[in-house]
Parts: sequence; structure tokens; C-alpha cells
Amino acid sequence: MDDFQTGEETAFVVDEVSNIVKEAVETAIGGSAYQHNKVNQWTSNIVEQTLNLLTKLGKPFKYIVTAVIMQKNGAGLHTASSCYWDNSTDGSCTVRWENKTMYCIVSVFGLAI
Amino acid sequence: MAETANLSAQTYMIRPHFNQKFRPAVVKDNIREVLTEELSGKEYNSEDVTQLTRELSDKIKGKIKDLQYDRYKVVVQVVIGEQRGEGVKMASRCFWDCDTDNYVQDVFTNDSLFCVAAAFGAFYY
Repeated sequence: MDDFQTGEETAFVVDEVSNIVKEAVETAIGGSAYQHNKVNQWTSNIVEQTLNLLTKLGKPFKYIVTAVIMQKNGAGLHTASSCYWDNSTDGSCTVRWENKTMYCIVSVFGLAI
Repeated sequence: MAETANLSAQTYMIRPHFNQKFRPAVVKDNIREVLTEELSGKEYNSEDVTQLTRELSDKIKGKIKDLQYDRYKVVVQVVIGEQRGEGVKMASRCFWDCDTDNYVQDVFTNDSLFCVAAAFGAFYY
């Protein structure tokens, strides 16, 4: 297990992950307006794309990605998370994205193996 | 041969014992209990809800820890939103070992708010 830690970055890098998520969201819903019949597909695309790009990083991590898409209606939304893990190796990253008709919030949790 | 250890660092076990796996059914009951206890009769109030979401996620994590799943890392996510007729969709995907890891989710709704709680358990090898 110690072999993984020599020389290579094996802590959760928030910036890198945040860029990956932004890219995935832009590709999936970049110029679109909220459409009820398409949301299912959009959320699936976002999470799948994010996960694909994360696994390509090749780090010894288990990933959990959640995405919430909400129509802009004046309503409020709050997210909180509580984690029981190892602070030195594990981490999370949440990205908020919006356009004129909807909000998209993506959370990524990385758990070191 | 290594003695069967009482030291958890030396057990050489790479899989949880079958009756020590993260059990969705049991955890779901716990989550449901916490949500109904905390949210029944509550209204969406933008000042309190931040605090409420954090408390809920900590409470749920505490309950899962009480179930004593050995060597499991736990992530709990709680989303609370106001009910105003808007459309919302939440999805998640995980990259893990499906033999050992699992997740649970529960939704609570009343007239003024909706709440989704998701708990993920990942085995630490």
C-alpha cells in the first residue's frame, strides 16, 4: 500500500476535480433551458461524464458523485454533508453552476483506498 | 503465521465479514427515523434551514456510527429545498467496489419543504 504514496500526489486535489466537474456540466447542459423531460438524461450525463474523467486520473480513490438540477423558481435549496473519513487523504468538492433557467450543484467525494 | 489478531491493523482481511457489511435496509430505517423526528411539522425558514441541514447530516452520521460498521468510511449528504412547484432532479454515481460498498437514500416531504438524505458506505481496505 505504501508504494502508492512515494512520489505521486495521492491526496484529494480540489482544484483539479473542480475543473473536471465544470467541464462535464458545461458539456451536458451548457446552453440549454430547463426541460422536465430532459432532466433525467442531463443528470445522468453529468455524473457519468464526471466519473469517467475522474477515473482517468488514475489515482487510488473511490469516488461518489452526486448532482442536483433545480429549476429557477425563487425557491431556496440547501445542501450539507457530514463525513466520517481520514482527513489527511480524503476530500470533497462542490461546484455550483447556473444559467437563466436552472441551477446545478455537483458534489464529488473522494475516499482513498 | 500471524496470530488471529486483536489488533485491527494486522487482520489481513480484505473483505468485510458477510454480517458486517453495510446493510441498506437497517441504515434506511435509521435515516427515516431521524428525518421524521426532525422535520415533521417544520416549515421552510431560510434562516434556520442552513443550521438544520447541517444538524441533520451530523445526526444521521452519528446514527450510522452507532451501528458500528467496522472499517467503513461514511459519507452523508442532506439536501433540503423549499416546495414551490419547481422541478428538481438528483442523481449520483459511484466508482467503488460493489461487493463491499453500498448506499441508502430517503426522501421526506411535507407542504413547505422536501428533504433528500443519502448515506454512502465505503470499505477501507
